[in-house]
Amino acid sequence: MKQRMHDIEGLILEKMKFKLIYPRWEKLEGQTIFNLPPHGPVVMAAAVPDHVEIDFTDENVEDLIIDDNVDFVGISMMLTTQVKRGWEIADQYRKLGKKVIFGGISTMLHAEETMMHADSIFLGEVEGRLDDVFADFGKNELKKIYNFLSKPPDMSLIGPANRNILKKDLYYHKGFRMVDLFHASRGCIYDCYPCAVRYLGGRGFRPRPIDKVVEELSQLDNNRLFIVDNSLALDTNWEKELFKAMIPLKKKWVSHTIEDKDEVLDLAAQAGAWYVYQAVFDTSDYIRNRIKQYHDYGIAVEGTILLGLDNQTEDDIKRLVDFLLEINLDLAEFTVLAPFPHTKAYSDLLKQNRIFDKDWNHYNAGKVVYQPKHMSPERLTELYHYAWDTFYKDEPQTMKMFNLINKVMSKELSDGTYRPRRRDLANLSFGKQITDIV
Amino acid sequence: MEINPAFDKYMDHYFDYLGFWDSPSKCGLKLVKRNDGKTLAIATEIYRQNPGTPITEVIAPLATQILKTSKETPGNFIFIEHTPNLGSKLSFYGETFDRVEFEWDGESFSNPVWTRLTNEQVDGMMEGL
Repeated sequence: MKQRMHDIEGLILEKMKFKLIYPRWEKLEGQTIFNLPPHGPVVMAAAVPDHVEIDFTDENVEDLIIDDNVDFVGISMMLTTQVKRGWEIADQYRKLGKKVIFGGISTMLHAEETMMHADSIFLGEVEGRLDDVFADFGKNELKKIYNFLSKPPDMSLIGPANRNILKKDLYYHKGFRMVDLFHASRGCIYDCYPCAVRYLGGRGFRPRPIDKVVEELSQLDNNRLFIVDNSLALDTNWEKELFKAMIPLKKKWVSHTIEDKDEVLDLAAQAGAWYVYQAVFDTSDYIRNRIKQYHDYGIAVEGTILLGLDNQTEDDIKRLVDFLLEINLDLAEFTVLAPFPHTKAYSDLLKQNRIFDKDWNHYNAGKVVYQPKHMSPERLTELYHYAWDTFYKDEPQTMKMFNLINKVMSKELSDGTYRPRRRDLANLSFGKQITDIV
Repeated sequence: MEINPAFDKYMDHYFDYLGFWDSPSKCGLKLVKRNDGKTLAIATEIYRQNPGTPITEVIAPLATQILKTSKETPGNFIFIEHTPNLGSKLSFYGETFDRVEFEWDGESFSNPVWTRLTNEQVDGMMEGL
């Protein structure tokens, strides 16, 4: 299993086989079937020392075989609905005598519980830190906690993610390639009610240097991206410089909110903004104008609609759904409030003793795990289904998605970046045979 | 770091505490020595100015640390958690006060229980009413 190699300084190192796992989770009812290549593992992979050989398994698209043909195991978790599966996997590897380290967003959100299933947990961001972790493992001196939560790395250290660990053919649906995930900044200045970024990434906005962003974008062989930054509305000058630098790359991308200044939106459109995820929390003219403004620049909008907030009655939710149809949202994704640990929502509901379900598998933003203020949990569940059904009644989600794909294809055809779908993968969906191709 | 003037009534100074995983954290604090001899502590969440853990999530160790700093006894110590109005479009993100009561094991507080207070109740408690 182990082979010897010489590092550049002439030292003899054991080539270490590191099994990196991204646990599966159950999809939210109503969500698209798409599986995107995960971002956390490829960012982590870029920071591991050269003598480490990574064997990556994304359980959402392939089966995990647990055996002892590894030296060290890493489990990367993004979602709360991954943690129980992650713990289960760790328990099995530890029974085989393998050491397991956890990292990623959900490890940070559920650190205390995760420690019960881990030899080590890593909290914070990895750049410049993993050499020590793997050296400690090599010396059998792995620490129980590597805590860098309050010590974010120098942003200039963040180089291109290592996407070579991905089995790229598994991220195609009927020959269409999924977007690749990419980030241009970390952290956020806001304290949004359902969000844990203040805990995870700190309360400051930390943009990557533009040249580093362009370097990584230039290396990406995928023309369609999801820029996963918490928001692109936090620093006008940086945003403008970023978009200007992206224009020649001709990428097409999805992102969260973009600032509402006309000059920013104009540059974003030129830089390839395809559609944005925009929170729609009320029926105000502000929201109506915001959506129109995106559309005026040719940027489509997927509304993200959180149901079950304390200021929503049943009538408010029904009115909100009607409003979404009025303002011609291109897509909508409905979720119910999930009070994830380390959010203001969690703190408030905890204080009021309103959380009744602590099964983390239920924290998928589709199940109600707390007592809503103005209705029963059952009624909120009904309204959640009502919202999905009503919004997509006249034009199903697949049709709306098809329209969005058409938009990006026509942009690509006009600037010469269009790549036809892969015919050799046309009968596969995320690596599995399709029996009923539409 | 400047005090937001809107916080002044319930906050005299900043207080440093350790949050999750020893992260350096900061809140607003007002200590009132009341006429009845009790000490009222108001800890204020300062959101963006707090680099670490929100006060709610570490309320028991925070109250313990403030108690020890104030050199008060647990029986003479009243603790209030304050979250200021963020001016958010989400109306329930407004100003709140909660009295927090704990169990005391001789060394530290635990098992917090929150009870919502009105501004008038807080003002009255500051006067020792």
